[in-house]
Amino acid sequence: MKSISLYQDKNTPVHKLDPLSKILYIVVANLIPVLLGNRIATMAFILISIVILTIGRVLKRTAPMLGFSGLVLITVVIIQGIFRQGNATPVLTLGSVVFYKEGLLFALNITLNVINILMSFSILVLTTKPSDMVETFVRLGLSPKIGYVMSSVFQIIPQMTETMATITDAQRSRGMETEGKLITRLKAFFPLISPVVMNSLITTRERAIALEVRGFDSTQKKSFLSELKKTRSDQIFKAALILVFILSLVGRVLMWLK
Amino acid sequence: MKKNSMWSLKLNTASLVLIPAAVGINYIGKLFAGALKLPLWLDSIGTILAACLAGPVVGALCGAINNIIYGFTLDPVSFIYAVSSVCIGVAAGILAYKGKIKGVVSAILSGLVIALVSTLISTPINIGMYGGQTGNLWGDALFTWCTASHLPIWLASGLDELVVDIPDKVAATLIAFGIFKALPKKLTILYKNDQEVESLD
Repeated sequence: MKSISLYQDKNTPVHKLDPLSKILYIVVANLIPVLLGNRIATMAFILISIVILTIGRVLKRTAPMLGFSGLVLITVVIIQGIFRQGNATPVLTLGSVVFYKEGLLFALNITLNVINILMSFSILVLTTKPSDMVETFVRLGLSPKIGYVMSSVFQIIPQMTETMATITDAQRSRGMETEGKLITRLKAFFPLISPVVMNSLITTRERAIALEVRGFDSTQKKSFLSELKKTRSDQIFKAALILVFILSLVGRVLMWLK
Repeated sequence: MKKNSMWSLKLNTASLVLIPAAVGINYIGKLFAGALKLPLWLDSIGTILAACLAGPVVGALCGAINNIIYGFTLDPVSFIYAVSSVCIGVAAGILAYKGKIKGVVSAILSGLVIALVSTLISTPINIGMYGGQTGNLWGDALFTWCTASHLPIWLASGLDELVVDIPDKVAATLIAFGIFKALPKKLTILYKNDQEVESLD
């Protein structure tokens, strides 16, 4: 069955890192540029993320995600570059359209910020199996029931999209139009979504009964199927991150005192 | 028997199992909107439906888990917008619990309220993340016009979000209401929060 998660199954040092280390990286990579307040920090972390992604051999997989946000970022650059309040210094003139320095710099900040968030999250998303993530949280104390809910979403959604494809084909073979004017497309929406939704909601009742029969509601402490593996590289990585964070905190305080 | 408060945290198995289905419905709504090229997001139908069925707490959980899953499978920026989804779930849950989603007109009005809540929460996030834009064609066009007319950024961004949210949330609430009405009673009874015992005579 097709999985919807972006996880890439490879055997690299990044894949072997504990999900918590990667979460710590996300926090540090996004907090330090905010603390230090300059673009150099953001760019540095983007570079570090790219390096980590290359070690994990998943760098190419960030392309679709960047494309997704890329379109919005381009419009941000255009709109902020031309129209931002307080635009004063023209930098580029294309015909009758003027791009201003302040707007472009502002757009640059936004773009770097978004790319930094995307890259740091990609490390987590592309190299961690969703079930491992959920298991980490459950070990930390998240209720196993919520853990189940999160894991099951990854299974249920591919089922639902397959059902949707089948139902779309069935309706189209019965003469339903899915292309054309807006009204036509709107009218197509309900006959497509109702069967899928009804189907999945009715199976939730059966799923609830099935789970309860298997002890889902029991208050006994649950045990884990897989063993916990703590590696040296995890500890080194986490220690390095915390060290960099403390250094930048110190740097910020020093800047503030100057 | 007294009616349990709508904030009671008693998450029974039926409520928990509803959440993946609701996230799935959100996902499919989003896919359909994309495939049919509708100018709406339609990614909160499941959250609103779950909130109608099982209350604001489940609605909030639905919204949170929905954005976490989107973050893992589509676009990591969704993690940050989780707050917005949670608030939509809570708002829908409170409205449904108070009986404000009983017919087509009340569903439209509730959709307007939910749109307002969504705009209030999402606009600061939009301003922080994208300088006020939302990624929607029409909304951003309005934003450009507002900014060119020297309106303050919170107004421009708020209008950008509102002009997309109103049709989107009203449509989502209507669709969720339509589905809710058509559900068999043996499903909706699983989620009724009160301990009322129905007698046959």
